[in-house]
Amino acid sequence: MKDSEIDEMLDKTAHVPHAVPVGLLQRIADSLEPPLQPVRPLAPTWVLTLGVVLSGAAAAFVGAARAGFQGFEALSIPAQVLIFGALGLLAGVAAAQVVREWIPGSRHVAPGAILAVSSVALLAVFALLFQDYQTHQFVSSGLTCVVKGLLHAVPAALLAWWLLRRGYVVNSVSAGLIAGTFAGLAGLTMLELHCANFEALHVLVWHTLVVPLSAALGALIGWGLRRSLMRADR
Amino acid sequence: MARYQAGDFGAARALIARVSPQLHRFFQLQSANRADANDLLQEAWLRIHRVRHTYQPGRPLLPWIYAIARRVRVDHYRKALRTTVRELPLEDLPDTLVADPPQAEDLEELLAPLSVGQREVLEMLKVAGMSLEEVAQATSCSVGSVKQKVHRAYEKLRETMSLVELKKRQPEWCRERQ
Repeated sequence: MKDSEIDEMLDKTAHVPHAVPVGLLQRIADSLEPPLQPVRPLAPTWVLTLGVVLSGAAAAFVGAARAGFQGFEALSIPAQVLIFGALGLLAGVAAAQVVREWIPGSRHVAPGAILAVSSVALLAVFALLFQDYQTHQFVSSGLTCVVKGLLHAVPAALLAWWLLRRGYVVNSVSAGLIAGTFAGLAGLTMLELHCANFEALHVLVWHTLVVPLSAALGALIGWGLRRSLMRADR
Repeated sequence: MARYQAGDFGAARALIARVSPQLHRFFQLQSANRADANDLLQEAWLRIHRVRHTYQPGRPLLPWIYAIARRVRVDHYRKALRTTVRELPLEDLPDTLVADPPQAEDLEELLAPLSVGQREVLEMLKVAGMSLEEVAQATSCSVGSVKQKVHRAYEKLRETMSLVELKKRQPEWCRERQ
């Protein structure tokens, strides 16, 4: 049997009229309770994306302003351009996908792919710029940086959520994962502005780890929210 | 849809009348139960009404509607799975496990051998008349993934229809023995 024959068969059966009980349609229309209140549509996607990017930048900048800009000041200008250019680009891509997750029927890029590309791209940039492979207090200073990064991811995620509070999430795990990725990038930006520890392993391991950790936390929160909503619905 | 957002009740009624048949069919293809499809259709419209502000005028409407409808279906499925499946006695298992291959007379029967994902993609393409890009938007996946699902669905249908053909060509005595 050829594809064209299957096509023909599907077309024939698909165009058979399908009746819905008139009473059901009436019930649905009645449940809308006229007079309908007019609603204001969501802002255009690019406005929301810009808002999310700016909220992440604000969270990183305010955090670094409180802790100090030692990292930024110690970097050479090409390193500043490369690191913050990459972070800006990746945060922009992640923010666009965050917005899409809050608007049903939007074009979709797999959040996992964005997380993977972000992590690999950042590892490549850091490996290119930092060559000092000696380590001092590898674990203790690393854990301090991870905690700081994650703590600054929280306000970025909360601000993004507040900006998108009128949206509707179709898949909460996927939305949590990408929102966590974006917030992690904001946390990492704060670390790059603040942390002046340029040991290659410190930056490669502990700074980059903020992004997948934050993404995993976001996905976990999304999963938990879905479960609690299902329970409340029962 | 823009008029519905602006509070025009007539536009809302017209939209319900226009889209409901294909949405109802979408739910019926997934649940194989008319009562469930009726409930799901009502639930979908309530949710569409609640989040109608998330539609951005100028963008395609069907991917937006189907994305919400899918979410309603998934929620319903998860809820049903938790409350009923564990208690299903063996004798109540669906007949489809032992049924004959489907006849090409109605869509529900034709698509019965396919997985849920394959069925919904074919329904959106053939019944709702959506493009591959729109189906990808409604199902939150890439166009490549939609194409792959369609390809696999056609393979499965070809296999099933060949079985039907084979059965038709068998002599009468052979069919009786089976």
